[in-house]
Amino acid sequence: MKKFGMFSLISVFMILACFTGSSVFAASKSLTLTGSTTVLPIVQREAEAFMDVYEDISVSVRGGGSGVGIAAIIDGRTDIANSSRAIQTKELKTAREKGVNVYPNIIAQDGIAVVVNPGNPIDSITVEDLKKIYTGEIGNWKELGGPAKAIVVISRDFSSGTFEVFKELVLKGGKVKDDALMLTSNKAVATTVTETPYAIGYVGLGYLSEQVKALKVDGVKPTEETVRMGKYKLSRPLFMYTNGKPKGSIKTFIDFILSSAGQRIVKEAGFVPVK
Amino acid sequence: MKEFGCLVCLVIQFLGFVAPVNLKGMETKISMTLWNRYTAEMVDGEPNKSAFTLERGYFRVEPTFNDKVKGRFNIDVFSSDKFTDGAGLKLKYAYLDFSNVLPIPESSINVGLVKHYFGTIYDWEYISIEKALEDKEGVAASTDYGLALFGYIPGGYGEYEISVLNGEGYKKTGGNLDKEPEFAGNIRIVPLPGVTLGGSVLYENDESERLAYAGVGHFSKGPFELWGEYLVQDKSDVTSSGFMVMPILKLKSLTNIDVDIVGRFDMWDGNTDVTDDGHMVVIGGLNWNLVRDEKNAPQVFLQIQGEKTIFEDEIKSDINRLMIQLQWSFSNTI
Repeated sequence: MKKFGMFSLISVFMILACFTGSSVFAASKSLTLTGSTTVLPIVQREAEAFMDVYEDISVSVRGGGSGVGIAAIIDGRTDIANSSRAIQTKELKTAREKGVNVYPNIIAQDGIAVVVNPGNPIDSITVEDLKKIYTGEIGNWKELGGPAKAIVVISRDFSSGTFEVFKELVLKGGKVKDDALMLTSNKAVATTVTETPYAIGYVGLGYLSEQVKALKVDGVKPTEETVRMGKYKLSRPLFMYTNGKPKGSIKTFIDFILSSAGQRIVKEAGFVPVK
Repeated sequence: MKEFGCLVCLVIQFLGFVAPVNLKGMETKISMTLWNRYTAEMVDGEPNKSAFTLERGYFRVEPTFNDKVKGRFNIDVFSSDKFTDGAGLKLKYAYLDFSNVLPIPESSINVGLVKHYFGTIYDWEYISIEKALEDKEGVAASTDYGLALFGYIPGGYGEYEISVLNGEGYKKTGGNLDKEPEFAGNIRIVPLPGVTLGGSVLYENDESERLAYAGVGHFSKGPFELWGEYLVQDKSDVTSSGFMVMPILKLKSLTNIDVDIVGRFDMWDGNTDVTDDGHMVVIGGLNWNLVRDEKNAPQVFLQIQGEKTIFEDEIKSDINRLMIQLQWSFSNTI
């Protein structure tokens, strides 16, 4: 029996740690947010305003993409996962296996704006033509009444939440053409469209500026009002995922975002408030 | 003939699904994972082995053709004293994964050299350096040639798999192939966050009838994890059975050091009708995650573990083993 002594001691230590572990986590007064680059402009502004009011809680914000944020909350490396897409079944299963009860908090609405270079004469597009462009069926602007120039197709990469939503709302089972440029952030898409005369891309509403032209989709402009009214087809909720219903400083932060002051920041960042 | 008809229907549906796919690779992940190991073994107080090896080296190519079709090709290189040049090479994975071929949500069909969905072997992440119980005791190999239907239960409540395989694993293929296939089924249910229960069964009736089944449990709360598995095999009127218990304590959340303390206890009885053929294995040690990637997967991973094998037969001496393993991986997507 002596040879099993150490084994038993380790086992008892582990069981004790199981019951004491949760109280260790609860003491934290700093918040970490990780994930979607779409949600990033909102949370950066919210974090600054929040820390002005709640000086005893520090908030650090990281990007990486929706997938990275969701992986981080599953592994307990972040308090809040920012995501521009709903969590996938595979991720939900992994989270549950690890004892994480992922809880969705919707903090804003967003429209996926289809953007072209400001010099491009095209002003509007249909979802059907958009699918044809991204799948390679349409390759020249003249097929849409524009100049006889090849279309440079810019997309977000596979791990992006924005891509996931675009795939669902536009591609509907089709695949992005092989020579499309797959970029890792909204900002990279906006910058590349600005610098490439005959490019087309898509970004969150918060990334619209005078440097790019947002196209009407099926005759509707992507604006706060059209997204809120449900008129703009390419719209989606933006999530903050937490482990269980928000509590403590996490709840304080999310309540702040959902307050009138927080929702005003959502609007200033170019997104659509939910309250 | 009825079975043949069903197979033809399935193939036609499959071809209809694959036909529009342009098989020019759209995104390809290339990765390598290597396991450098030092093993010191003592039997009867005398050194039996002291060796540095490349235990495994996986070279993986994973093309994603589109959001419905992806593949995995994996070769395993390793140092070995079985061959004159001191090195070995095995094909470990070679399959295509077709998502949502059948009208079942969140499902996929894997064809080729696929994962063997049995017990803990298909999701074994080498928390202990020692292999999964069914692999260690020769009940099931980690991959095999065949066809598997895999699916997730909606809401994250688990997963299921049904497979038709050669039944010989990936090592013996090319020799005296089976005449009859192996049928396997597996289910994992997560009724509550942190609680996973599962079961697997495999059956083949080749030169001898073989039935094996496993029950799996996993518990996770905060820094504590516990794996448990019960395994039984009936083969040629011989019944073998055993179990594995593996507790893990993750120190990162308690101390900010990315180290896990690992324990494991195995019991295996090769023939339940014979009294002195069993053995038990006690493992203890630590895993130190030196570098992780952006999704928290270990990239450089050091393991130091002691293992003691105690035989039921008193004539056999205990085997004491110290293993130090450095696992390192890197990848790029093109």
